[in-house]
Amino acid sequence: MSSTRRDLLKMTAGVAAGTLFTPAPWRLITDSAILSENWPGIFFSSHGAPTEKFTNCALCTAGCAVKARCVNDRPISLAGVVKSPICALGLAGLHMPFHTARIAHGDAENAAAAVRAAQGKVAVLDLRPGRTASWTYRRAMAALPGGIYLAPQRILNAVNLAAVKTLVSFGAPVLDGWGTPSKVLAAREHFSLIQVEKDQSHTGLLADRWIPVQPGNEPVVAQQIARDLPADGSSLFLSSAELPSVLKMNVTLGNLGHTVIARNETPVPAAWSKQAAAVHAIQNVADRSIGALLIDEASADVAVPWDVIAPKLTNSAVVITFASTQAGYGRYAQFVLPAAVYPEVTTDIPTAIDSVVATFRLATPLMAAPSGVVDAAEFVASLAKLDTKDALQERAASIHATGRGSLLSYSDQKSRPIKDVKADQFWTALNAGACWSDSESPLKAPRWEATIATPAICEAVRPKPPLFTKLYEESGLKGIAS
Amino acid sequence: MKYRGAIFFFVGVAAALALGWIGFPRVIYARRVQPVNFSHKVHAETAGSKCEDCHTLRADGSFAGIPGLAQCAGCHTAPMGSTVAEKKFIDEYVTPKREIAWAVYSQQPINVYFSHAPHLKLANLKCEKCHGDEGHADGPRVYEQDRIGGYPRDVWRSMLMKDCIRCHHQNGLEHSCLDCHK
Repeated sequence: MSSTRRDLLKMTAGVAAGTLFTPAPWRLITDSAILSENWPGIFFSSHGAPTEKFTNCALCTAGCAVKARCVNDRPISLAGVVKSPICALGLAGLHMPFHTARIAHGDAENAAAAVRAAQGKVAVLDLRPGRTASWTYRRAMAALPGGIYLAPQRILNAVNLAAVKTLVSFGAPVLDGWGTPSKVLAAREHFSLIQVEKDQSHTGLLADRWIPVQPGNEPVVAQQIARDLPADGSSLFLSSAELPSVLKMNVTLGNLGHTVIARNETPVPAAWSKQAAAVHAIQNVADRSIGALLIDEASADVAVPWDVIAPKLTNSAVVITFASTQAGYGRYAQFVLPAAVYPEVTTDIPTAIDSVVATFRLATPLMAAPSGVVDAAEFVASLAKLDTKDALQERAASIHATGRGSLLSYSDQKSRPIKDVKADQFWTALNAGACWSDSESPLKAPRWEATIATPAICEAVRPKPPLFTKLYEESGLKGIAS
Repeated sequence: MKYRGAIFFFVGVAAALALGWIGFPRVIYARRVQPVNFSHKVHAETAGSKCEDCHTLRADGSFAGIPGLAQCAGCHTAPMGSTVAEKKFIDEYVTPKREIAWAVYSQQPINVYFSHAPHLKLANLKCEKCHGDEGHADGPRVYEQDRIGGYPRDVWRSMLMKDCIRCHHQNGLEHSCLDCHK
C-alpha cells in the first residue's frame, strides 16, 4: 500500500490530536513560563544555619530598626522589632541589590579629573542632608576653592505628633511613607486627618476627609480650612511640596512650639562646624555659575527638578551623579558612579521628622557591596584631600562626649543612659543596630521666618503667566494667580 | 481501501501517545545518580536511626535539611560495615573533608518560603506525608531534573503549590500570599 499526501496529512492530524492527550505540550507550556527561574546569574540564597543581625533601615529617614536573618553573610529575610514594624518597602529591601537595572561600573578616575579641570564653581547637591556624609560634603566644599554645598531647604524640621488633634496634609503621604510607620500608627487614633490633593492617594483613601484641589489653589483651601480650626496649637499643616503659603498656617494657628518644634541637631565634632561650608538652596545660586556638579542621589529623600538645576550650570559643566541606576539624574550626567544600596550601605540616618529629639542610628551592612561601587562621601573628600574614613566613629565619639541621652539596643530591648556606657561600647552597640536618642527638653518654637519667605522648588518651576505684560503686572489678576 | 484515512489518523494518535508518554519523559528529564549510594533502610533498621536524628530542627526552629558531612563523619570516620559504597564514601568525602553535593528531590523555587517547624510541631505531620517512603529505601532513587525548568521530577509528583493548598484547605487553613512567598 503506497501512501499519499492525504494519508500523511491525516497521520499528522492524528499526531496533533494524540499529543494533546500526553503531558508534553502542557509541561512545555509550564516549563517555558518558569524557564528563567534557574538561569545562571539568578540569586539563590545559600543553605546554612541562619544568624540574626540588627541594623536600621536606610531607605528613608524613619530609619526603623530591622531584625535580619542572614545565611552566610547574606540577608534572607527582614522584619521589624517589637513595637516597631517596618513598611512593605523595608520588608522587601533585601532584594534591592539584585535589581536588573543596577549599574555595576563607573569611571571614577576620569570623573575626578573632570571635576578638577572644571571652570566655575564646584557644587555638591546633597539630596539627603543631615547625615555624617553631609558634613563631609560641607567640609570638602569649604576646603575646595569655589566649592558650594547645596541641599533642599526644608521649612518643617520636626513635628510632635503626640500633640496633634487635626492634621491637614496637602499631598504629604502621612499614612504611606511620610513619617516613622510605628509612630504614625501609634498616634493615628488621636488625630483627625484631612488630606488635600489633586488625585486621591492611599493616604487620601484612609483619611477622615479627602478634599480634591487643583494645583495652584492650595493657599486658598488652606486658609479656608484654617478658619475652622482653633488657634491653640493643636493642629498641623503639612505640604509635600513645602509650600510656604500652606505651612505658614502653622504660624497663624499657634502651632509653633506645640506641634511644630525646633529640634537640636545631632551633635557633631566642634571642628566640623568650624570647617563646614554654609548650606545654600539651589534656587539662590547664580545662573551659569556651576562648572562641576556632584549629585548624591543614592539615598535621596527629595528630588529637585532638572529644570531648576540646569540653568545654574555653565555651558561646559560636568555633572557627576552617585546612583544605583541610570534612571535618575543619570539621564543628564556625564558620569554615573555606582553607589551601594541598602542593605549594603554603611551610613547614618538623619533624625526622622516625627522625632521630638535628635537621634543617631547607623545602617550597617548586611552584605558586601559589589567591588565597583564608589562611596560618594569619600570621593568628594578625596577631591579636597580630606581623610574622612572614620567620620562616623568621630561623630559617635562626639555624641558620647556630650554625656546626654540614652542608648536603646533592640537585641535586648534595653535602654541605658549614655553616662553608663563607655565610648567603645557605644560604638559597638551602634554597629549592632542600637539607637541613640537625645535627652528630652522643653519643646521650642522654630525660627523659620526666613525659610517661609523662600519660594518652594515647585514654585520656582511654575510657568510664568502668559500675560506677562506691564498691564498684567499692575492689574489685580497677578494677586489671584499667586 | 475502506477506513484508510482513519487508520492513518489513529496510527498518528498512537505514535503521539507513545512518544508523549514514554519518549517525552526520557528526553525532558536529565538523570543522574546521587553522589553517595546511601541506604535509609540500613540506617533506620540496622542502626536504629529515626528521621529526626539526622534531619533536625535547630534551636531557633529552622530546619537543618540534609545533614552535612560532619554529621555523617561522626559515625563513619572508620568503616562501620563492609560495603563498597561506605568505603567509597569514606575515601572520597570523609577523609578529604569534602561536602557531599546531594541532589535535592524536593527543591522548591527560590520564591517559596517553607518552614518545617509548624508542619512538624503544630500540625504533627509525618515526614512521609510529603516526602513519601524515603525512610525505608535501600538506596537513593535516580535524580531526574527537568532540563528546561530546572526542577526535580519529584516536585511534580507531590510538592506543587496545588498540593500544599489542597492540604491546607482540607484542614481549614487559609493564608495570604506573603505567608509562603516572602
